[in-house]
Amino acid sequence: MAEGLNISFLWEAFFIALSGVPITLLVTIVALVIALPTGFILALSRFYRIPLLRQIASVYISFVRGTPIIVQIFIIYSSIPLMLDILFKKYNIGINIYEIHPIWYAFIVFSFNTTAILIEVFRSALQSIDQGQYEAAQSIGLTSVQAYRRIIIPQLLVVAMPNLCTATVNLIKATSLGYAFSLQEITLRTKVAANMNYNYIEAYLAIFIVYLLLCSAVEYGFKVYENRLARYQLRMA
Amino acid sequence: MEKYFDVSYLWEAFPVLLPFLKVTFLVVGVSVLLGTGFGILLTMAKVGSSKILRKLANGYTTVLRCTPSIILLFLVYYGVPAIGAQFGLDLNQVDKIVFVITAFTLQFAAIMSEVVRSAYESIDKGQYEAGVSVGLSAFQVYRRIIVPQALVVAIPNFGNALIALFQEGALAYTIGLIDVVGKAELIIASNYDTHALEVYLALAVIYWVLSILIEQFFLKIEKVVGKGKRSMQTV
Repeated sequence: MAEGLNISFLWEAFFIALSGVPITLLVTIVALVIALPTGFILALSRFYRIPLLRQIASVYISFVRGTPIIVQIFIIYSSIPLMLDILFKKYNIGINIYEIHPIWYAFIVFSFNTTAILIEVFRSALQSIDQGQYEAAQSIGLTSVQAYRRIIIPQLLVVAMPNLCTATVNLIKATSLGYAFSLQEITLRTKVAANMNYNYIEAYLAIFIVYLLLCSAVEYGFKVYENRLARYQLRMA
Repeated sequence: MEKYFDVSYLWEAFPVLLPFLKVTFLVVGVSVLLGTGFGILLTMAKVGSSKILRKLANGYTTVLRCTPSIILLFLVYYGVPAIGAQFGLDLNQVDKIVFVITAFTLQFAAIMSEVVRSAYESIDKGQYEAGVSVGLSAFQVYRRIIVPQALVVAIPNFGNALIALFQEGALAYTIGLIDVVGKAELIIASNYDTHALEVYLALAVIYWVLSILIEQFFLKIEKVVGKGKRSMQTV
């Protein structure tokens, strides 16, 4: 291996890695679209101490935070086919469970994981909003939904944005574990290409660069959006 | 037809898996020690006066934060021996655990540098000046005034970082290290890939319980080191 890096393969691997970006982004966006509202509602259930829902939410959060994502993937990936198999046999549904596209597992795994993270993000953001804001909104005749929609949520988002950014970056990074259920995202595509000539260093360098670009872009996007959201605060200051 | 789910596999997995926690703990322990040391050096660069060092340290943190652990692990695993080969060193025989520890040390240092920096910056500059003005030496000020206060801020974040490292450590099996996860994979392979779910559940229980224990431990420490702070508020 003393001949150094294979630059032409590095270049090639970079574009193979880039071709995995749409899948990674799709999984990230679907997971966020599911996790944002669910996380918010469960955060409210913790905040308002709604019985049962609150306990379920806290066990759920504890599990997700207490176990590695890879173990969560293992469990979901090995339990869902078992459950579906029983269901499909019972109702004679003629779908082969081993032909389910891996992207469905990705949606389930990553929204399961991200929802728990976002509950905590929203809960801490909720705690930062002064209770008087809600009371003031009600006293001028807004309904609960209006109060949340117009007063609470806009302020809450500003507080939650940095943590949402971290959660999104972590989610993008976590999709690199999609190899465990053969999801054709950035990592797996490039790794497969590298298998031919054992150019692993070049492959991982290419993957590394693509994640770096992707995460920097996401962080930059969040920063811009955060400034836009906080424009009311700036005006007041 | 065999049963889909057999609890006995779950119970049998525990005694086989638990001894391999030693490997997991070794990885986490050494990475935390080395990573904290390196992290403090990075913080010193970040708050120091040298512009180049500050840029380098901040750049390092950004890059490491954007790199998935599994990619870092493989980069170190394939990259370090390749770099060694350029200098005529044969690192292919080095134990895998060394690469795992190297990768997680690099990652933990990046996280720790932020933990230490935020703790350091939370302390009012006046504290240092006050300490010096009553005749303490710089070292004494740090030892008696700055560090005890900074610890209160740093400990919850340190606990979170440690739990995160403990969990990311689960990926070490990907380069073939036989820790708890690696052993779980071996058990499943020896069962001809059946009853994987039971073994994975046992694995999840082990991680879950340990994470809760670590969390509780840090809550206790937080109370111990934070006692000065609370008495100030109540008095």
